[in-house]
Amino acid sequence: MNAKISTDLIRGHTDTIILNVLRQGDSYGYGIYKKIFQLSGNRYELKEATLYTAFRRLEQEGYILSYWGDETQGGRRKYYRITAKGEELYSQNKKDWNFARVVLDQLIQGGLDDVKA
Amino acid sequence: MSKHKNHLNNKITTYIDNLFSGVGSTHQLFDLKEELAINIKEKTLDFKSRGMDDDQAFKEAVISMGDLGGLVEDMRKLGQDTAKQSVYSTMTARISTAGIIIGVLLILFGLFVIAMLHFMGLSGTEVTGSGIFIVAGGMLFTYSVLTRETTKKYAMNKIRAAFYALSVGLLLFGFFTSAVARYATGEIYISIGSLMVFFLAGIGLLLFLILTGTDRGKR
Repeated sequence: MNAKISTDLIRGHTDTIILNVLRQGDSYGYGIYKKIFQLSGNRYELKEATLYTAFRRLEQEGYILSYWGDETQGGRRKYYRITAKGEELYSQNKKDWNFARVVLDQLIQGGLDDVKA
Repeated sequence: MSKHKNHLNNKITTYIDNLFSGVGSTHQLFDLKEELAINIKEKTLDFKSRGMDDDQAFKEAVISMGDLGGLVEDMRKLGQDTAKQSVYSTMTARISTAGIIIGVLLILFGLFVIAMLHFMGLSGTEVTGSGIFIVAGGMLFTYSVLTRETTKKYAMNKIRAAFYALSVGLLLFGFFTSAVARYATGEIYISIGSLMVFFLAGIGLLLFLILTGTDRGKR
């Protein structure tokens, strides 16, 4: 299988993907990385470099918040939690995506004959 | 086993310290380093459990993190901003403090000298002449108070504060010249005339400043 998702295609959705993971429970950097990989059916890897940049931005804008875990063995993890504002952004983005993907599909695959006048 | 773990911890710490070397230290940098360290560590251990040796697992983990250059750059900017800001704010705060103290002392000095000369029985011109200290003190005090950053308000722009100080100075100078003119010439109308010139200019400038002012309040 050589199918790949181009970074251009996914870039605009990084925030929504992270919010989708956090919506299902608090998690930490590497944990979120693994969940995204799992969610993609092991087909897409969102690098930590991208993730941490997004965390910083999302936290600054109040969509997520962070707290340190209380692990004592071998270092603490920093956990992230979605805020109410983040939930709102997620639903809005989901709505936008559902609209966009229908239109995009039409634009990329549709023929003019299919469009009902 | 624990020896291995310590070796890995050291390796990770060295790697991260090198990555962020020369970046101004901030609270955020400290947190990010710790966050990245635990991430690399967990990833390395995962790779090891799939049969890689220590060195290879660590290398693979670092590579698979992606390009951390953007984060380093973010932290560098943050470090510079906080460094600049703290130097800047302590300097202005000191200047403002000194200005307020000297301004108040000048005003008090002017008042004392006036009282002293008055009771020495000197002429009105000589007595009121010392009022110039109050004018200078008032200007300095105005400027220093406005350029001071407080917990509720940001400092005013220096040029704008200087214009405020000028308008206060014009008002005070108006009173000063009218008092001097009153005693020098003995004529009230000359006194009013000289008051008018400076007073009107001062009020005009003050009104302009108040009406064009922006809110300096902190949220």
